[in-house]
Amino acid sequence: MANLRRQVAGYGFILPWLVALALFIGYPFVAGFYFSFCDYPPLRSPAFIGLDNYAELLGDAKFHRSLGVTLVYAAVAIPLGVVLAITLAMFLNARIRGQSFYRVIFYIPHLVPTVVVAILWLWIFNPEFGLLNIVLAGLMSAADAWTGLFFGLGAETPGQGFFRPAAVALLAAPALAAVALGPIMPAAVRRRPALRRLLASLAVAAILLAAVALLNAVVHGLLPVDAKKLHSPGWLADGNPLPADLSFAPSWALWALIVMSMWGVGQMAIIYLAKLQDVPVDLYEAADIDGANWLQKTWQITLPMISPVILFNVVMSIIGTFQVFTEPYIMTAGGPEDKTRFVALFVYDYTFQYQRVGYASAVAWVLFVMIVVLTILAFRISQKRVYYAGR
Amino acid sequence: MAVSDEKKAPWYLRMAVHAILVTGALFFLMPLVWMIATSLKPLKETMKYPTSVSDVFVGVGRQATIDGRRYEVVLEREIKPAPDKPFYVVRPRETFSAGELWLTFGPEAWKKFPVFNAQELGQMDAQVTPALKVLADDKNCFDPATGLLTLCSGRKVPAELVRRIEPPTDGSVLWAVREWRPSDTDMREVGSTDREVTRAWDVLPASRIVKTSRIIPQNYPIALARVGFVRSLVNTLFLCLMTVAGAVISSVLVGYGFAFLEFKGRGVLFAVTVATMMIPFAITMIPVYLLYRDLGWVGSFKPLWVTSWFGSAFFIFLLRQFFLGLPKDLMDAARIDGCTELEILWHVVVPLSRPAIAMVALFTFLGTWKDFMGPLIYLNHPSQFTLSLSLQAFYAEHGGTPWHLLMAASTVFSLPLIVLFFATMKTFIRGIAMTGIKG
Repeated sequence: MANLRRQVAGYGFILPWLVALALFIGYPFVAGFYFSFCDYPPLRSPAFIGLDNYAELLGDAKFHRSLGVTLVYAAVAIPLGVVLAITLAMFLNARIRGQSFYRVIFYIPHLVPTVVVAILWLWIFNPEFGLLNIVLAGLMSAADAWTGLFFGLGAETPGQGFFRPAAVALLAAPALAAVALGPIMPAAVRRRPALRRLLASLAVAAILLAAVALLNAVVHGLLPVDAKKLHSPGWLADGNPLPADLSFAPSWALWALIVMSMWGVGQMAIIYLAKLQDVPVDLYEAADIDGANWLQKTWQITLPMISPVILFNVVMSIIGTFQVFTEPYIMTAGGPEDKTRFVALFVYDYTFQYQRVGYASAVAWVLFVMIVVLTILAFRISQKRVYYAGR
Repeated sequence: MAVSDEKKAPWYLRMAVHAILVTGALFFLMPLVWMIATSLKPLKETMKYPTSVSDVFVGVGRQATIDGRRYEVVLEREIKPAPDKPFYVVRPRETFSAGELWLTFGPEAWKKFPVFNAQELGQMDAQVTPALKVLADDKNCFDPATGLLTLCSGRKVPAELVRRIEPPTDGSVLWAVREWRPSDTDMREVGSTDREVTRAWDVLPASRIVKTSRIIPQNYPIALARVGFVRSLVNTLFLCLMTVAGAVISSVLVGYGFAFLEFKGRGVLFAVTVATMMIPFAITMIPVYLLYRDLGWVGSFKPLWVTSWFGSAFFIFLLRQFFLGLPKDLMDAARIDGCTELEILWHVVVPLSRPAIAMVALFTFLGTWKDFMGPLIYLNHPSQFTLSLSLQAFYAEHGGTPWHLLMAASTVFSLPLIVLFFATMKTFIRGIAMTGIKG
């Protein structure tokens, strides 16, 4: 009797959720599956048409483009987001003053409502007066001036600038600093003879110069940006991919959405940060005793310890990619030429615009299957790499 | 960087970390800074390519003295009289309709259609009276010999010569400047003839025009009125209230059930609950929409808050985990004292779980405030629009020209969340950390 009462009490408490499970998850799940086999204009009742919707899907180039856009976005934005978030979290985890202040700053973008994010970035991506192209043009001319200073690129006679005093100074300064500031260098560096310190510094300087040259080459070779004429990308209105000869490469419009999504990376970083702080200190102490360097500690302690969160975030991001809707809906309406027609937008269009509920349901179900497959894949791939403490 | 050992990193490493974080923070804050900067600019200043760094963030204003009074002015156009064809400032002796004048000042559209028919002229309330000055240029010709001003309608009006404008001999530039008022930032007023004709104006050399900065808080009330802020805010707050109450009550109940009550199938049901978090919104969206449509609820607020009263998987999961961490003996003691489960929940569990419950409330509030797709699908009348929807409608209506107003509305729309974040920072940070525990 008492047992029965406990049972009733238990079900009484979770009753609302049982209703939700049945009404808002179970029923739609099953009904959607049924609709996907139907021709269903929303004002009439569904008529069973078998696999016709799925057959149409196979030959629907618009759907293929939409799926391609979504997958390319996922393939670029998710790894980029994970790397950026972990890097940021590591910096935020450093023992420095103002730690909590920095955390707040990086979290703030996540608080901005999605519609505001979309409209704000529409303005930032404005080809003529947007902040991004203004900053880019500034950077371009700065890079021009800079490399011109060192290499004479952009100067009348190429190569002329190579031995300019500025270049010499850039090469010499770290070397001099390395010798002069020897006492404050890390112990490991200080132990080495002065000549090797000098050589190491020169190498660093050479790498710096090479990086500048590379930046210049990238800027002038790849980006169709001319600082003076401001032929910057049109961003959201620009359907041309980068580089232009690879058709599967993300278009400028898709790149714009990827760049924008990186703005919200602080939220993920805070989650990683929480996990970073849980990593037992004695692991690092043991590594220190073994003489491990920073890279080894990161690779062999930090990353394995936070790997469960990485996996979790990747899986949630995959699901999230299939739900990207508000940004393309407001910012591009799927254009230019379907280059940003994410699948969620595709489903919305077919449901509410073209009134083809059956077809939209079939698309939704294909997405669901893909999410399940990708999730299983993520788990499989990570099985050996994810470390669960205590297992 | 990831050094978690007790000793501090050497000072130059700490400085490097500071430098990197400050640079990163600048990049992250830049969009918001620009949002606020744009919201305080005049419309014209947003549509201008900046020539200096300060131009990017602060609108340029100009001041000049016209007829002995100092005015905030806008540069209308460059004036280029030739030595053989000087321009004149004249005062008409008769009153005529502003439509008969080639408008020296004013939007391009006016210049393209200078000739109005009689009916259009009758509809214009702007009159050029003898109290006003007129710029007689190559369009509104003035003949000093006869004292007649030729209007573009062909009519000749007697006018009194005020001043002759010679081309500057020192190569400087002449500008036609017009008085500017803060209300000019409103799109509705652009092109209003009254304003164009009756404002103070003059032709001045560039040296007599002072460059200042122009910050316009007046954008805010205009933007809020245009977006329908008060009405949208009330709608949004209503939805937030209903969803927060619903989510808290249902998730606490269900979470308690899953944590402390034993019933058949609890394990399976909980596993199902966690699994449902993986189902994307796009799958269930269509049938749920049709369900609400058949209930006749589309076009009302109900679909947007009723769902939350039945619990959400994520919050149920979070609360259950939190409840399981509470000291069990307190609950057992209460049970021995003869408390019912509801009493235990109310008197023991809820007081101990305030931070977790606050987090559920906070995240629900945030979710409802930010939601766009829900209102987009279910609401169809502007009087019901939430802030998200009103802002998007305002954007869609203008195709994104009034950026200053859009940014002002956006700032006001984002501000409550940022304030809320600072007010509840502890709960927030703990909550974010908790969401990470799931992994």
